[in-house]
Amino acid sequence: MARGGENRGRLLLIILIITSLFLITLDLRGVSLITGLRTGTQSALTPVQSLGATILSPVRNFFIDVIYLGRTRSEMEQLRTENGELLSQLRERRSIDAQLEQLQGALDLAGKAEFKVLSARVISQGATTSFTQTITIDVGSRNGIKPNMTVINSYGLIGVVKTVYTNSALITLASDPSFRIGVRVADSQQIGILSGQGTSKGVLQLLDNQSTINVGDILLARGSVNNQPFVPGVPVGEVTSVDNAAGAVTQTADVRFFANFLSLGIVSVVLAAPDVDPRDSLVPPKPLPTPIPTVTVFVTPSESPSPDSIGSE
Amino acid sequence: MSTRKISLTATLFLFIYILQEAFITQLRIAGGGFSLFLIFTLLWAALSSPNMGALTGFAAGLLIDLSQSTAGVFGQWTLVLILIGFGISYFGLGYENVRLNPFTITFLVTISVFIARVVYLLLSLLLGKDLGTFSSIATSLLIGLLWSAAVVPIAMPAVARAFDFINDSRSRL
Repeated sequence: MARGGENRGRLLLIILIITSLFLITLDLRGVSLITGLRTGTQSALTPVQSLGATILSPVRNFFIDVIYLGRTRSEMEQLRTENGELLSQLRERRSIDAQLEQLQGALDLAGKAEFKVLSARVISQGATTSFTQTITIDVGSRNGIKPNMTVINSYGLIGVVKTVYTNSALITLASDPSFRIGVRVADSQQIGILSGQGTSKGVLQLLDNQSTINVGDILLARGSVNNQPFVPGVPVGEVTSVDNAAGAVTQTADVRFFANFLSLGIVSVVLAAPDVDPRDSLVPPKPLPTPIPTVTVFVTPSESPSPDSIGSE
Repeated sequence: MSTRKISLTATLFLFIYILQEAFITQLRIAGGGFSLFLIFTLLWAALSSPNMGALTGFAAGLLIDLSQSTAGVFGQWTLVLILIGFGISYFGLGYENVRLNPFTITFLVTISVFIARVVYLLLSLLLGKDLGTFSSIATSLLIGLLWSAAVVPIAMPAVARAFDFINDSRSRL
């Protein structure tokens, strides 16, 4: 009897494992049923996620503030002087202002390059449990979003639209390990491939062994055929260190992405780009050096007392 | 298994799944945070029989695979959770003192979450996926382990009560 139960248990386990392997095979073969199931789930979840984004906005801001504790501390000291009512109003407004600032920045960037964009709210951060870097935005096929569209914010490239649902879309961030983008160095026009590493930094590999790259060089997207998946000229990042290994065929470099993927609130999807490449017009301006006031002190030595005068006193 | 048990269990799992997908993923907790759904599933499996553990893993894995934020192959989490769900319940059943002790359950579930992620990682490598640098993977695994160790003891009493209520059992957790 016990043996029978044990056998049934083993049979169940084997059936379940075979089913999962069957599902994996179906997905790898691109069976549309699987895609349909995911689309259906996402369509059902989007309204709940939007609600969650609205409800949890203050909590999310709190966590972001904890991450950037130094900045928060100075803001808190400033706010402490104000009364409770103003404090709550300010907190509410801060969230809206931050989103507005991000929106304005993205629109400025898009306007400069004459991109036609659609702005969207980030409603979900992808699960790092699966070692991927994704976000979900609240616009989808109903709003004209299609796969392989470029996603930007005020700082530059965010990622690319991976999957589109009716009311939402999944974006693969530039920091995702599977992300690859052709880039060129502003000014020198050298080209290379930038790969995401799962962190805030990427790795650039130059394509030409005669080229050299320097710390501080700005990287821009090279653009793709028909502007998909990448529109040209979008700022991507800045070179932070160069690997000059003796045996390497081409140079490689670490690149810090301009966008902060931790604090994404509003992003813009590029719906259309002009035929003309904006070249280097989107390169972020270098910060102006703050003049340091200098004070020159002239010291005139007083006449040292002569031994005679000391003696006479 | 009665209709009441199935419907209540399914409702509870769906509720936790929506909570995870719609709310917890919004929080952007330091280091990538934790998966409450994964922790809940493994706690549930730890309290169940091996067959139920495997079935729980199968159902929960399907739900995780359906999530848009799971970029992996469909069925990958299903396979991982069948194995881990069966393993954790089999291990718990064999050692009665494991199942009845909150500390050992916490340890078992925390380690199981870690192992589930490592198995997922290995499967991803076998399927030819890019996973990032060793340091980013190690950091993600380590932070995930710490979050699990923090969340499991908090979630355990509620999960144990829900399990007892649905299965008409009485655990000593």
